[in-house]
Amino acid sequence: MTESGVYVYAIIPAGEALPADAVGVGGPPAVLRLIRDGRVAAVVSDAPPQLRARRRDLMAHQDLLLRLTEGGPVLPMRFGAVAPDETTVRAQLAGSQAEHLAMLRHLDQSVEINVKALPAQDALAAVVAEEKDVRRLREAVRRRPDYQANVRLGEAVATAMSRRASEAGKKLLHELTPMARAVAAGPEVPGCALNVSFLVERSEVDAFQETVRRFADAHMESVELRVAGPLPCYSFVSSRGLRPTAAGV
Amino acid sequence: MTTTMYADEVAPCPPRAGTLYDVLELILDRGMVIDVFIRVSLVGIEILKIDARIVIASVDTYLRFAEACNRLDLERDSGSTTIPELLGGRAAKSVGKRKVRKAAESVGDTVRKAVGSGDDDDDEDEREERPKKRRTPARDGASRRRHAEA
Repeated sequence: MTESGVYVYAIIPAGEALPADAVGVGGPPAVLRLIRDGRVAAVVSDAPPQLRARRRDLMAHQDLLLRLTEGGPVLPMRFGAVAPDETTVRAQLAGSQAEHLAMLRHLDQSVEINVKALPAQDALAAVVAEEKDVRRLREAVRRRPDYQANVRLGEAVATAMSRRASEAGKKLLHELTPMARAVAAGPEVPGCALNVSFLVERSEVDAFQETVRRFADAHMESVELRVAGPLPCYSFVSSRGLRPTAAGV
Repeated sequence: MTTTMYADEVAPCPPRAGTLYDVLELILDRGMVIDVFIRVSLVGIEILKIDARIVIASVDTYLRFAEACNRLDLERDSGSTTIPELLGGRAAKSVGKRKVRKAAESVGDTVRKAVGSGDDDDDEDEREERPKKRRTPARDGASRRRHAEA
């Protein structure tokens, strides 16, 4: 193992240039380079010593992938992938070239858009007006204000907010799915009623976002939507380990 | 620079947290994994994610919701507001908003700690594992984004 290894950011088609001024993780930011093999290339840098999931490095990883995405199809690596040396990277590229190329073709001209639905935080009045349980418990607190009654009321509010967000989230998913090439459930995020990523054609991004915007306006009393994208296609590359195919050793 | 559009440019509500948080779980849990590559330790981050989950279902949060509800009551009684006014009324809405936001803040804080604070120098290793008890204003999305694009 050489020093601290080779940090791998992404795999791209060979021939794509690195974006000008782009830098890597670490402080000072690592210098990027390409490792080419056949028709694919890995975007790498020296791995900084004692690499951890720092904000600075997460941002550097993300920003670089965003810039690469602007230039063409990209297979984004999960944060923190470090190969022992260049030889290992090269062997991996050679061994999995066909899979990499197929995936790059699949993602060409597409981006990921992530949509999260959270309970609407500003819609308490609507919850009180529309939720029978909440109204009943509110009346109870009013008649006999005590600790237990307040906890029950608050719990009912929290439950109603989650349910409303979850219902709106299902409706939104139903509306957006036909606009996407693929849909992938995101990792569970605490407090999120829905966390889904969509693979969207670049030419469809504006229409997709407009649909989300209209939905958000129409459902602001039940759900708050958070949309991120266009993003690198994190959720649409194989997240199962690719077999080293007699390469890594 | 990047053409990425983050949540606050689409959603009707102002941002509640930094832009990195919105995609944190994708950067950490999605993307390609290759068996022969080692992955860095994410211990600090995972612990803080669990913290966030505990806070959401806490009695403290319930009590804040209840308090906000009761405040809505008072507004209605004092002004003999009708339901449509309650729904659209500025006063009622802002009370509800403030209170509930406060309840949500503790969650946002925890999450923010997970990714470190905006202007902090991240060079110290222990920063993410032992976050400070500092409250950052909820709406610092603008400065955060500047930071992100710098």
